[in-house]
Amino acid sequence: MSDRFTEQLSPYIDGELDDLSRARLESHLAECLDCTRTLAELRAIVAAAPEYQGREPSTDLWPLIESRLGEPEVLPLNTNRPSALPPSRPPSLSRHRFGWRELIAASILMAVAGGGSVWFAVSRGGTEVETAAVSPPPPDSTAIGSTVGFAEQEFDLAVRDLEQVLDAGRDRLDSATVRTIEQSLVRIDAAIAEARAAIQRDPSSSYLNRQIAANMRRKLNLLRVATQAIAART
Amino acid sequence: MTQADLDRDDVQLAAAGDHDAFERLYRRHVARVTSLARWLLDAGEADDAVQEVFIRVWQKLHTFAGQSAFGTWLHRVAVNLLLRRRQSLGISRRRQVNDEIPVLAAAGPPERPDLRVAIERAVDRLPAGAREVFVLHDMEGYKHDEIAEMLAVDPGTSRSQLHRARLLLRQQLAT
Repeated sequence: MSDRFTEQLSPYIDGELDDLSRARLESHLAECLDCTRTLAELRAIVAAAPEYQGREPSTDLWPLIESRLGEPEVLPLNTNRPSALPPSRPPSLSRHRFGWRELIAASILMAVAGGGSVWFAVSRGGTEVETAAVSPPPPDSTAIGSTVGFAEQEFDLAVRDLEQVLDAGRDRLDSATVRTIEQSLVRIDAAIAEARAAIQRDPSSSYLNRQIAANMRRKLNLLRVATQAIAART
Repeated sequence: MTQADLDRDDVQLAAAGDHDAFERLYRRHVARVTSLARWLLDAGEADDAVQEVFIRVWQKLHTFAGQSAFGTWLHRVAVNLLLRRRQSLGISRRRQVNDEIPVLAAAGPPERPDLRVAIERAVDRLPAGAREVFVLHDMEGYKHDEIAEMLAVDPGTSRSQLHRARLLLRQQLAT
């Protein structure tokens, strides 16, 4: 077997050799059993490759996707660097029964989550969409600023309580769904953390404000869907 | 009515905000996107990446001009997003470009319950650069010029990586 000819086997299979090179290779193949066998094995691999298309995801992703269709377009912020990821979420908490108390709490929190939308609307600055989520309010907008501050606290409380509801009821969801939710939350938290760190260096960036606002809303939406799914299984 | 006809109608509806139409598009195409994600990313990342692909497609539907089939356009969006995610996850091509030995050493004797599983395992063991090109060329049908553009490499690099991938697969399957 010749390395020179071996190197030409893939281009030969793909029809990329010029006439002269192809003629030389075919002449060589007529005499070289090793190259002929290699060519046959490579052809078998190429022929088999297109058969490996089409796999269903491990769980139905549509409910999670649909819950996010209202999101504004968010450009990537290099959110996937492992170093940027916060610590993993804690393992499942106690597996107590999911009762009326939690359901009521969840209902209240849904309303708070709805308030989050108001927060994002209130925090719009002029023609900007979803701005000033965490940036200091302008000096002449104390009313809006105080609303933003209050709403941010409400947002944090809503997220924290929804996470508790999720932890308490996670055993009602299948493990693949829980895993998908947790991975999504880790990514969202990383994006928020990175944008918050970046905005310390550039506090006036409306782009970063939009990133933070969009990812916070994304987190709220995800938690809402998850807790609704838990409630539906109760 | 062909799938392309169904896609065209549903794209129009989805672009106007119809979630049901977009769900139909999702269900018709999710398997192929998932397969691509599974080939290019670790299993634990694939589902999340598939979500991102369809969210991105939803957001960009208004830019789809209909000059190509929707599936082709979707696939290109998916490839670009998945390749960026590979980079951000630190699945570096450069790190493994000259790193053939560990792949062969790690191959081990294939158990071969069937050829499909054997090839799947073999592809999983390819070095990152060779794997990307093999998946994009032999499995997904992209040309070397297109792959070169996606991966920001020379077309000759794409060709040599493809040949290397095929030879490595052959070696692993022959073990």
